[in-house]
Amino acid sequence: MNAQLSQAAIKVTNLVKRRETKLLKSFLAISGINLEIAEGVTYGLVGPNGAGKTTTIKLLLGLLKPDGGEIKVLGKPAGEHEALRRIGFLPESPYFYSHLTGREYLTFTGQLFGMQGPALQNRIGELLHLVSMENKAEERTGTYSKGMLQRLGMAAALVNDPDLLFLDEPMSGLDPLGRMDMRKIIIALKEKGKTIFFNSHLLPDVAHLCDKVGVLSQGKLTAEDDLLSITPERNATVLEEYFLSHIEA
Amino acid sequence: MEHCAESQGQKVTAKKAGLLLPVFAIASNTFKEVSRDKVVYTFFVFAVIISFFGLALGSLSVGQDLRIILDLGMFGISTIGGIIAVFAGANLVYKELEKKTCYLIFTKPVRPWQFILGKYLGLALCLLVLIAAMAVFLALTVYIADPGQLLVFKERLLLIGASLLLTYLELLLIIAAAEFFSTFSSPIMSVVFTIAFWFIGHSTASLQDLAKLFTNSALKQIANFLYWTLPDLKTLTQTRSAIMYGQFPNSELSIYLTAYLVSYVIILLVLSAMVSEKRELP
Repeated sequence: MNAQLSQAAIKVTNLVKRRETKLLKSFLAISGINLEIAEGVTYGLVGPNGAGKTTTIKLLLGLLKPDGGEIKVLGKPAGEHEALRRIGFLPESPYFYSHLTGREYLTFTGQLFGMQGPALQNRIGELLHLVSMENKAEERTGTYSKGMLQRLGMAAALVNDPDLLFLDEPMSGLDPLGRMDMRKIIIALKEKGKTIFFNSHLLPDVAHLCDKVGVLSQGKLTAEDDLLSITPERNATVLEEYFLSHIEA
Repeated sequence: MEHCAESQGQKVTAKKAGLLLPVFAIASNTFKEVSRDKVVYTFFVFAVIISFFGLALGSLSVGQDLRIILDLGMFGISTIGGIIAVFAGANLVYKELEKKTCYLIFTKPVRPWQFILGKYLGLALCLLVLIAAMAVFLALTVYIADPGQLLVFKERLLLIGASLLLTYLELLLIIAAAEFFSTFSSPIMSVVFTIAFWFIGHSTASLQDLAKLFTNSALKQIANFLYWTLPDLKTLTQTRSAIMYGQFPNSELSIYLTAYLVSYVIILLVLSAMVSEKRELP
């Protein structure tokens, strides 16, 4: 039991990934990353556009296969079903089936986890309440605004009550009120002991929410520290200076 | 001991249900996606118009009104069914990749074979409903043209049903082919490949004749390879034509045709799952 508790939620060793451009030119998207994130930690991965943040998440989820190195997620190789059952994922600009209503979308997501019946419908009710989408649940997602899609995406990421949550730009497209609500949800999940891995451009959110921060630049993890050791006051300006000093020109 | 065996049995059933639930979810989602597409309704209305056009055309002919209605109606149903099978099938997998909705699926405990089978079953079910609805209109047209005796009408219904069953079996194969091509090519190329597959399927005998004509051994081998690997749909067409003239196939031929087409469908679905397994998402 103790061994299980002390286990790293994510352990990445010498991760390497090559990708191809549209002109079929190969480049090193991820170059020898090492990561170890303990259970219950909220980890923020920050970096400029094209640094490899989304590629890292895709590798951790098993959507991409690494060209080198090893990835263990919840003690299993990335993409293994036993681990995926305990993972929630909110992609950047969540992708939806525009022909489904919000409720149908969540039902579909739950069924992919093997959930069904009243247990699933109760869970969907809770989640719609959590993201304040009860009134829009019967409307097709094709009619939703970006902020509403983000909220529904968050509900879908939580449908299986995951132990580990991957959030790719969770605040993207949200208005200030929506951002505040999303922060509250993330804080509530932190309090429940969930492990959260999130990518963000928005340093104030990272400063407010994270326990640990990593800076990714040109596919390399150039810095990694406990947030409170960078800025005990969770000051976004201090974090911004830290970020700027660690990105490669 | 008995209790233990019972609990073991329950576990196996639960595991099977766990494997099938994502397939059902994906099939249901695909069914909703296709059936909520306005284009499908446009095609359906078009099929209804063709059926009623047959009624008008039949009334102009002497003694051949029913034949015209049946031929035109069956043509409309198989053509529209074919168009939907080819175009929707060619988009089955590609659309998920293009819209990145596949990220939603493959970050869940879903295996590629469950995804492929679910997409296939969803479209197959949608096509079944569509063909059944168009068949109802065709039957109605036949009844309007010649209400006659109930027994005669029942025979005509059987004729329409048996013929459409073969059409549906053929379309099941076409969906599987389109889905297979869509796992590795763009929708346009998948449509081209599927139509070529379908066309050659109706003229495989010509491939054998062609092989005999070639002097180049490589071309001869290619023609022979295509002859042996592509399905022969000629027997199916001949059987369907015979049904329209009241000659129903015997049970041996029916079983052979069904087993033949289902085997091809299974092979194509397995190949699709294998391609999806190897493929890395964009």
